[in-house]
Amino acid sequence: MSTPMQREGTMFSTYRFIPTSSLYTLVGLAAVVSVLAFNVADKFYLHVLIMMLFYAAVSSAWNIVGGFAGQLSLGHAAFFGIGAYTSSLLFINFGISPWIGMLIGGVLATLVAGAIGWPSFRLRGPFFTLVTIAFAEVLRILTLYAHDLTRGSIGISVPFRPAVGNFIFRQLSAYAVVALIFLMLTVMVNLWIESSRLGYYLAALREDEDAAQALGIDTARYKLVATLVSAFLTALGGTFYAQYILFIEPFAIFSLDFSVLLAMMAIIGGIGTVWGPVAGAFLVTPLQEGLQAKLGGELHGLHLVVYGAALIVVVILLPQGIVPSIAGRVKRAFGHHEARPAPPVKGES
Amino acid sequence: MILEAENLTKFFGGLAALKEVSFGIAEGEILGLIGPNGAGKTTLFNVLSGAFRSDQGRVVFAGEDVSRLGAPRRCRTGLVRTFQVVKPFSNLSVLQNVMVGSFLRTPDPGLARERALEVMELVGLGARQDQPAKSLTVSDRKRLEVARALATRPRLLLLDEVMAGLTPTELVEMLETLKKIRDRGVTLLVIEHIMAAILTISERILVLHHGEKIADGAPKAVAGDKRVIDAYLGEEYLLA
Amino acid sequence: MGVILAQVAVSGILLGGVYALISIGLTLIFGVLRVVNFAHGEFLMIAMYASFWLFHQYGLDPYVSIPIVVALLFVVGVIAMLLVIRPILRASPSMQIAATVGLSTLLQNLALVTLTANYRSVETKLSRMVLSIGPLVMGVSRLVAFLVALAITGLLFLFLQRTYLGKAIRCTAQDRTAALLMGINIDRVYLLTFAIGSALVGVAGALLMQLYPVFPTVGTYFVLAAFVVVVLGGLGNLTGALLGGFIIGLVEAFSGFYVPELKEAVYFVVFIIVLLVRPTGLFGVVGAEEVGLK
Repeated sequence: MSTPMQREGTMFSTYRFIPTSSLYTLVGLAAVVSVLAFNVADKFYLHVLIMMLFYAAVSSAWNIVGGFAGQLSLGHAAFFGIGAYTSSLLFINFGISPWIGMLIGGVLATLVAGAIGWPSFRLRGPFFTLVTIAFAEVLRILTLYAHDLTRGSIGISVPFRPAVGNFIFRQLSAYAVVALIFLMLTVMVNLWIESSRLGYYLAALREDEDAAQALGIDTARYKLVATLVSAFLTALGGTFYAQYILFIEPFAIFSLDFSVLLAMMAIIGGIGTVWGPVAGAFLVTPLQEGLQAKLGGELHGLHLVVYGAALIVVVILLPQGIVPSIAGRVKRAFGHHEARPAPPVKGES
Repeated sequence: MILEAENLTKFFGGLAALKEVSFGIAEGEILGLIGPNGAGKTTLFNVLSGAFRSDQGRVVFAGEDVSRLGAPRRCRTGLVRTFQVVKPFSNLSVLQNVMVGSFLRTPDPGLARERALEVMELVGLGARQDQPAKSLTVSDRKRLEVARALATRPRLLLLDEVMAGLTPTELVEMLETLKKIRDRGVTLLVIEHIMAAILTISERILVLHHGEKIADGAPKAVAGDKRVIDAYLGEEYLLA
Repeated sequence: MGVILAQVAVSGILLGGVYALISIGLTLIFGVLRVVNFAHGEFLMIAMYASFWLFHQYGLDPYVSIPIVVALLFVVGVIAMLLVIRPILRASPSMQIAATVGLSTLLQNLALVTLTANYRSVETKLSRMVLSIGPLVMGVSRLVAFLVALAITGLLFLFLQRTYLGKAIRCTAQDRTAALLMGINIDRVYLLTFAIGSALVGVAGALLMQLYPVFPTVGTYFVLAAFVVVVLGGLGNLTGALLGGFIIGLVEAFSGFYVPELKEAVYFVVFIIVLLVRPTGLFGVVGAEEVGLK
């Protein structure tokens, strides 16, 4: 039977393959967070909750490129910054609602991602990482330089004019709800990708790019798709940050440290998995916020000492990250021996 | 003719790995490709499948000149290869590996899964569906390599030493599988060193030596060809 | 105008010498171990702080303390190798990057926490001296740094060409398996290479302490420049790192002259262009295929 080359089916039925356990987890998480958001009175704890959700969402967005596609980008601050600056400048200069500015920022980030991603995918390993760092740095320097437009190192203060339409709220709980929705969005995107053709193709090109190409996969194109999606979501996070913190400046926004932090959370939690970055962010953020608050200026940076060490330890001892390691142990305890798409550790095979 | 290779030439530095190799493959045929190590067999596969561009010559597949197409696009037209040193996606399960193949023809995970399972049955991997690829035995890895390629619905399948390292029983199974694949309408171009196997299954045999085609014909004729004997076989190979 | 440009060029070359010295360690390590040490800048920072401390605590002239700093960095290299690098040699490139980035973060913030973010400088009699050659003026410290950098690089080349260990290192860089089969103890070569690469950056740090202040993130600034140099020269290529250092030194000096605010952006753009157009660098690369630079 020499079958003609027909395309059948659509990608939309992918939703049927998202594990129901993941959906339950998501709903459960949403329920817990909602309860906390409206019942916790202490502003500090609410702030920590908001930051946890925020970092979990942005780290999940990073994971699409860094985990699923296996391309370790340390330049995601670029997309984050584009989102933050675009919505803020549009709001301050033209009164455009940050909600709309957020989408515009997302599109802009996507375009930039396409422009810089396309030529960069030929590079592998550290070369790719280096070029992402370079792009983010160039963007930072340009932002400083174009100070007529961006206020340079002085930074931009977003005026506190609370209104739903302005994406500014008096109640912290409102920000928590927005952050939660943002997280749910990124997690759903991750879940969808994981079970779809895109996810399988990304796993394939991560494992063995030559074999993937021999099976008809245009690897550059799929890396690009992953990057576009990731950039868009990361930019949304930039707008959220600007609207929450109400102050942005190049050093903090386009920072290499921020890019590293996103990667770190995903790796510690479980790179390439859906819940890994979320777990990583949930573990790491309270420590960070807690240390910064309690010890203030004195031991500034202590949390990063811990993360740096944790990252090294995880890479050496638990390269798959915390979530898969625990999940693996739990499954073995129940007698399962399934394989799930996992990050590559070339030492074994 | 499903495939026509015209004057394929490939240089690596000063060395000619392929020298004006020309041949054709008829649809539904099983063509064997033999020759000593270094003869250029895998290079020929690389050139046919698009992993390398030839320096001269053309590859015409199903009437279309594919010489300028890269590997992924050639695969999509139905010209698919396997690797001599198998390349499984180690951390994925067997089923997931094969699905990567079947996803070429459908974006629907459900359909991709169905087709993958079907191909795995054909090849004999049905029982191993959820096993991680890295835990497979050699013969199962070879099967996986074939299954994955087969899942892309190829019209012409280039198999690079799929029988190396198999026990006699496994070899017989593999030969059976290849015949089943051909019976489904897939044309096969098979590189092999195991003479008994290749001479049995092939309808026609191509012999390469130092990058040149030195023989092209029915197995018996090739086995008795003096040039082939001198270059490769050592002595006349008597078919049982 | 010509004099001004010549002056800029001289600054660039002097700076380039030091960049070369920082980069040579990095490229040597990559050439042999195929690992990009993202913590290289932090090793530089450690060297600078060590030099500073020896000066302020014991009054040791920074030139005099060079051997001590070198020894210290050699040890730091050994420790880092054993604890962090060796366990990840077989891991995927992503995990290797993650580990060295983790080390970088750890060291940077350890410095921040224990030593604070304050800028610290060393001032000796030499710091203010300048040398005039015709119309051109150069800081003596800069000139000495340049000369020492060249001397050390020269010594390194001699070591690699003439000694057994040096040859063993070069063999391992060219073909790991063949070296192993020839009876070379690869493990020890790796360790030695990493330690030497770190020691080299030790010299650079001691020299730089006289030219720049030290603070916890000083490493980041210099290491990014070092990456540009190393990629430009071709990863693993020592001569390339030397020449690349001078090129980047000149690029930075001239862009500092013409477009001071965009100075760093210029060499990053150079970096991006090199990576995208000719990732093997100006002089070719060892092991390009392994890192997928085909």
